Amino acid sequence: MNEFGPNSENSVGMLSFDDGKACPGPACLDITVQGKPLHYHGAWNVRSLLESQGENSAYANVRINGTVLRRRDFENIPLRSGDSVDFLYYMGGGK
Amino acid sequence: MIDLTDEEILRYSRHIILSEVGGAGQQKLKEASVLVVGAGGLGSPVLLYLAAAGIGRIGIIEDDVVDVTNLQRQIIHTTDDVDKPKVKSAGETMKQINPHVEVDIYHERLTKDNIFSLLDRYDIVVDGVDNFPTRYLINDACVMKKKVLIEGGILRFMGLIMSIHGGETACYRCVFEEPPPPGTVPSCAEAGILGAVAGVVGTLQATEVLKIVTGVGEPLYNRLLQFDAEELRFHEVKARRNPKCPVCGENPTITELIEYAYTCETQAPGTT
Repeated sequence: MNEFGPNSENSVGMLSFDDGKACPGPACLDITVQGKPLHYHGAWNVRSLLESQGENSAYANVRINGTVLRRRDFENIPLRSGDSVDFLYYMGGGK
Repeated sequence: MIDLTDEEILRYSRHIILSEVGGAGQQKLKEASVLVVGAGGLGSPVLLYLAAAGIGRIGIIEDDVVDVTNLQRQIIHTTDDVDKPKVKSAGETMKQINPHVEVDIYHERLTKDNIFSLLDRYDIVVDGVDNFPTRYLINDACVMKKKVLIEGGILRFMGLIMSIHGGETACYRCVFEEPPPPGTVPSCAEAGILGAVAGVVGTLQATEVLKIVTGVGEPLYNRLLQFDAEELRFHEVKARRNPKCPVCGENPTITELIEYAYTCETQAPGTT
């Protein structure tokens, strides 16, 4: 099982990409990211999720359960089990 | 009434044989008018397919000239077209593909001063621009004029497409309320674009135009489709009208066109 620890001071949990097994920990988050089920351990906020997924916050907007978040709220919004998270990317290029 | 010539019936026979299109659908294509903003990476496949499909009148607005660095993806232009205005180069190619199509060329920049008069002349707008200020200008104008807009964007190995019926379905600002904050999106320095990604997204935009004109299928309204070429994956996100949208919400704060400053910080990375 691939496990990734916090990779910045904003990250406050452990992330497992093994979505085929039940989360073993008591503080377990089961969320959907870009349509994929993922299990999280501990407490996570939107900023730490972005970083753990290697997303560039300059390009990525975040929508949780249909609501697009304000960027300044990324660190204040905790993830909860059942959340459905989509990354919506700024793509300004056409040429 | 169908007024296709014998040559047109033969030319478009693979459309006409589709029961969902038929002669009546081909006639709708002939009667349709589409404005394509930008004749670059996205505009190239859009213009080629719309011309080939027999859209009756196609407008192209673009102020740039063909550069050799464009040719890796802007497939409507050729090596011989370098230094030629893109509208001229594109128009010539389209006429070679289909002489039945009327092509209007505007060798100028789209601004808040000319956009409304241009929109009045066309049924549908396709966005193939390379910067956020013009992207938001087009969205806002299409909402105000209740026009159909086929939005598209590309970045490195990714693309985005969304169809919008101004004032009826979710608009670009319902999802991306404001342009990226100045300084957060790198620009001017090349971030790159895989050429064929522009082809994928532009071809999807053209497909949406043909569907909407002929009434075939379900447009990509209230949906946003993101394409990831590295994973070869499409991810669809449901969108909905945002009551707080500054342009199409319940209490819009944008009631006149805005032109954001055209700076390095708001230009899309790597796609100039």
